[in-house]
Amino acid sequence: MDLAIQLDRVTKRYRAGRSRTVVDLIGSALERARGRAQDVHSTTRGRIDADIWALRDVSLDVPEAAGVGVIGRNGAGKTTLLKLISRVTWPSNGRVRVAGRVVSLIELGAGFHPELTGRENVYLGGGLFGLTRRDIDRSFDRIVEFADVARLIDTPMKRYSSGLYARLGFSVAIHANPDIVLVDEVLAVGDAAFRRRALEALRNLIADGKTVLFISHDMWNVRRLCDQILWMEEGRVRAYGPAAEIAERYMSEVNLQALANQGTALQSHRGGTGEIRYTRIEIVDAEGRPSVALAPGDTLVVRAAYRAERPVARPVFQVAIVDVDTGLVITTATSRLNDVPDAVGETGMIECRFPRMPLRPRQYVLRVSITDSHQLASYDLVSAGPRFAVSGRGSGVDGLADEEDGLVSLPFEFAHHTGDVPVLHQA
Amino acid sequence: MPTDAVQKPLIDHAEPIPPGAYWELLMNLTKREVKGRYSQSFFGVAWAIAQPLATMAVFTLVFARLAKMDSNGAPYPLFAFAALVPWFFFMNSVSSGTLSLITYRNIVTKTYFPREIIPLAQVCSRFIDFFAAAALYALLMLAYGAGVGVWGLMAPLFFLLLILFTVGLTFATSAMNVFYRDVNPVVQIALQLWLYLTPVAYPLAIVPERFRLLFVLNPLSAIVEGFRAAVVFNRAPDWSITAVATTIILAVFVSACVMFKRMDKYFADVI
Repeated sequence: MDLAIQLDRVTKRYRAGRSRTVVDLIGSALERARGRAQDVHSTTRGRIDADIWALRDVSLDVPEAAGVGVIGRNGAGKTTLLKLISRVTWPSNGRVRVAGRVVSLIELGAGFHPELTGRENVYLGGGLFGLTRRDIDRSFDRIVEFADVARLIDTPMKRYSSGLYARLGFSVAIHANPDIVLVDEVLAVGDAAFRRRALEALRNLIADGKTVLFISHDMWNVRRLCDQILWMEEGRVRAYGPAAEIAERYMSEVNLQALANQGTALQSHRGGTGEIRYTRIEIVDAEGRPSVALAPGDTLVVRAAYRAERPVARPVFQVAIVDVDTGLVITTATSRLNDVPDAVGETGMIECRFPRMPLRPRQYVLRVSITDSHQLASYDLVSAGPRFAVSGRGSGVDGLADEEDGLVSLPFEFAHHTGDVPVLHQA
Repeated sequence: MPTDAVQKPLIDHAEPIPPGAYWELLMNLTKREVKGRYSQSFFGVAWAIAQPLATMAVFTLVFARLAKMDSNGAPYPLFAFAALVPWFFFMNSVSSGTLSLITYRNIVTKTYFPREIIPLAQVCSRFIDFFAAAALYALLMLAYGAGVGVWGLMAPLFFLLLILFTVGLTFATSAMNVFYRDVNPVVQIALQLWLYLTPVAYPLAIVPERFRLLFVLNPLSAIVEGFRAAVVFNRAPDWSITAVATTIILAVFVSACVMFKRMDKYFADVI
């Protein structure tokens, strides 16, 4: 198997703290002249030789035609890894070897100039990726078509929206005939339709034998694009292997951490006028035991206690489940007809029950609020309430448990009829 | 469709950029620089000639009228302008070039390409100013009824020396400024003083003997005197100081290129 990228015991060290100044330079020259140790710097202005180890002893072989998802927390060394592969920076120790042309999408449209038109910027950006005018002439129409900017191509780019800016940047990069594409969390901009097309384009590159390294916190997109996952932790490779296996391990660990961080949730992201507020929100399972990790198809119960300054007429209690990566899944609300008395007293509790919860294995956060009867004024809003995770291979209502099978699990059945069937809706 | 059947080998450096793309990028960055500077201003590139023209006017007032400076028989405005045009090319290039890698940190920290292109584009973007001012100089000559003789053919040689010196110094100051931001204010002050220590407002001939070495070691002395000899006085340049300047310029240029190449691996880390 041919390799596209090879890292051999690579270490990357950055200087921490303030940058060096000429005073430090003179200082260290003096110290050297006096024969002191060279790594001691300016005594008057604090040490500047503290180092940050962005990568420690990383060895890695990436085969060609691979889609590799790079995951890990902020500061794990993901972006440093991409910068080393793209030659933006060089290792402190070790060796980075790469086969072919690397195109890095660390920031889309980084080389564009707002005063130049889209057309001029395509040539400018293409040049940064090593394309000649003739190369760009050849693929210009495809670049514009993919980015869908034909209408604005002769307009200065300062008039573009940020999504459009990113679209043109992405389009120039993937048309630069790369052998290796490095993508760093850039698909967060742009609309859903473009994200889909961008993922599709990256998938086609892999199918064409190109190698794609894809940094994303969105496990959903990582799983759709990548067959391998590289899990970085504190500058080291924590795990590298088949996507399904690593994703499972990563998610269950992240879920455990979420469980440990429950306490402070109600304090932050709090809104509302405060006539009535939640005092405690908890997630319990069908038996009433507190729970933050559920399996697909389990029963999820949200219990929320509240306290009011004085009785509030006809409040509406809302409980929403939000997917941490992709957004709102469902909003539920009490109806004043039967769920809640006309006026609530000083304290009380609501309970919202989701039997056979049809959620896939992902991370979720609760958003709970209390509003007036028209759901216009908000008394209380906890936008980042308790988190919970769905994991494991418990059976969903449809018997499919993999997150790749969609966002929610719905009961479904197929039927098959032989022979001519009357067509109800002509396509 | 796999475009290349042959698997490319693993290499330690970035895949070389074809010279065509290298040139393309330089031209585009130059264009970006020029457009950024002059777009949305009513007079546009006309501002490029305002700087030497206004300075010439002040110099004429101060040095020719008040101080009765001797300009070797040539009209003082021509005498000053012929030196101010190369001077401002040098000053503006070094001045904005020193900051250029910081200004373009956005692409320096995010994509790979030969970093020399950024300071080079700063110098290239001043060609427009140079030629606009040179055209104005031609008009001034017509107005004074002066002409260009055969020694005018030496001007391109001095222009080449000017470019080499400007590029070399810009490489050095831009690279050093990435690591030590103190470099920029030092450069800006030095450029202010350098104007007066170069025979721009006055001829080299009036410099007293004990200061002469300082002026001979300043390559810009030979360059502005060379431009003047070529297009103002139509006579041979002073070969000996030109030879000294050429040696210094080549040494500065080569060592700046070497230094730049050694430092550019670390630009993205500290910028």
